[in-house]
Amino acid sequence: MNAFLMQCKMEIIRVFRNPYFIFWTLFMPILFYFIFTRLVSSSYPDNDLWNAHYLMSMTTFAVMGSSIMIFGIRLVQEKIQGWTTFMKITPLPSWAYFTSKMIGQTAVHLFIIIVIFLAGVLINGVSLPLSQWILSGLWILLAALPFLAIGNLVGSMKRVETASGVSNFIYLGLAILGGMWFPMDIFPTLMQQIAEWLPSFHFGNGAWMIIRGEFPEWNSYVVLIAYLILLMALSILIRRKQQAY
Amino acid sequence: MEQTIQLNDVTKTFGKTTAVNNVSFTIEKGKTIAILGPNGAGKSTTIGMMLGLLDPTEGEISLFGKSPKDLAFKDKVGAMLQDVHLVDKLKVHEIIKLFRSYYSSPLSMEELIAATGLKQEDLNKWADKLSGGQKRRVGFALALAGDPDILFFDEPTVGLDISARQHFWERVENLKAKGKTIIFSTHYLQEADDYSDHIILFNKGNIIADGKPDDIKRQIANKNVSFVSGDPNIMAKLETLPIVISCYEKEGRIYAVTEDTDELLSFIIKNNLDAKDFFIQQIRLEEVFEYLTMDQKESVS
Repeated sequence: MNAFLMQCKMEIIRVFRNPYFIFWTLFMPILFYFIFTRLVSSSYPDNDLWNAHYLMSMTTFAVMGSSIMIFGIRLVQEKIQGWTTFMKITPLPSWAYFTSKMIGQTAVHLFIIIVIFLAGVLINGVSLPLSQWILSGLWILLAALPFLAIGNLVGSMKRVETASGVSNFIYLGLAILGGMWFPMDIFPTLMQQIAEWLPSFHFGNGAWMIIRGEFPEWNSYVVLIAYLILLMALSILIRRKQQAY
Repeated sequence: MEQTIQLNDVTKTFGKTTAVNNVSFTIEKGKTIAILGPNGAGKSTTIGMMLGLLDPTEGEISLFGKSPKDLAFKDKVGAMLQDVHLVDKLKVHEIIKLFRSYYSSPLSMEELIAATGLKQEDLNKWADKLSGGQKRRVGFALALAGDPDILFFDEPTVGLDISARQHFWERVENLKAKGKTIIFSTHYLQEADDYSDHIILFNKGNIIADGKPDDIKRQIANKNVSFVSGDPNIMAKLETLPIVISCYEKEGRIYAVTEDTDELLSFIIKNNLDAKDFFIQQIRLEEVFEYLTMDQKESVS
């Protein structure tokens, strides 16, 4: 147990010491938030609603980046540096190694959520009922799982360059198509229809519903859980194939 | 608890290549064993299987009666592997602390810091930013973190300068004195000869000799008969004889390694084989090893 807690602690420390982490998951989203709520006038009639809506967009955007890019690329790095192999000769069970990474990642996500929410309060004085702060935070924390599964898949790649290119592409693609950068209603109908099938849209949409005093729609749960199962199955398949070589 | 490490008919194949071919050996507790062989002989694969990193395609491995995958076994094992870089974003003392937490009865922080031989200021550096030699010292300390009974060192001295090498073997001598079972691989004959109680000589995935360094010298370093021949098939003819261990050609002469030079000579003469200008020599282990390594280089190019 001691080993497991220590492993979690070190995983968290390592993420926070990563400059890419600070840039992609805190600096960029907060900068975007500032630009799109203060400098560019929105088409939204209700300014307070827009400020809260876009705060959710940027928080989900940040957590998604941390899950796909930071997590995925680190997995590849540890693998090619032989560290993953080295861990296997220690008595730390492999489930503990993997779980501690997930817990570390979740702790980091909690930190991201708190910081960006605070930025929203400071920049625009966003004010929501406590229940909505907590619910939207919880939603972002839990609904990040399918994206961690994407990161895990990225982690099965053999080279950091490939992993970083592919994850960047997926990350930015999902963010734009899922309506995290620009609200969905300004998109043409076809793109809105595509978004309905993307995990990023449903990730954001759950939070957008919560700050409107509603609950995430049932199809958001279905799509996100379906992606999670699919991606996990795919990852098991790939790893089995890699081991068999 | 059983007192031996045993490999029984262990084979490992990767696709169509056979890295380790049907090897068996026994290692007694408290001994220092050298797995000696040229590059690509199957040394690392064998160590990988003993550590539970690779599953044997066939055969069984038992380490003091336990499976290599047994967590209780891993609690008492330490290793330095090839191509392992220290994890990034952690300081040296943090990695040591982390590793101590994995084991049920770790060595103290002070002992492990002493094992690295690093200065206080270096302990606060990023582990992945240390020099090659310093990283190896940290790796050595990590191998000791759990106060292991068995230690594996895979090619521990490759790339180290002479003084670092000496320093490493001094530390190994200390571990030997404490009764640890030590298994190291090397392609330096001298190291195997100097620091092990027992050598297992690998070539192309096969064990070609297994015994105490002196016995191996006797066993391998047999006599040879060398001669000049115009018959291109003569090596093939001689290799069919049970008394001939191996044949090779060097600088225009055919060398036949044998345990019985008289018998071999009488065979050549009785069968009227095309051979002249005979020499009988005692070969040294170094020469056999050089021959093996040379053979390896040829097959690579």
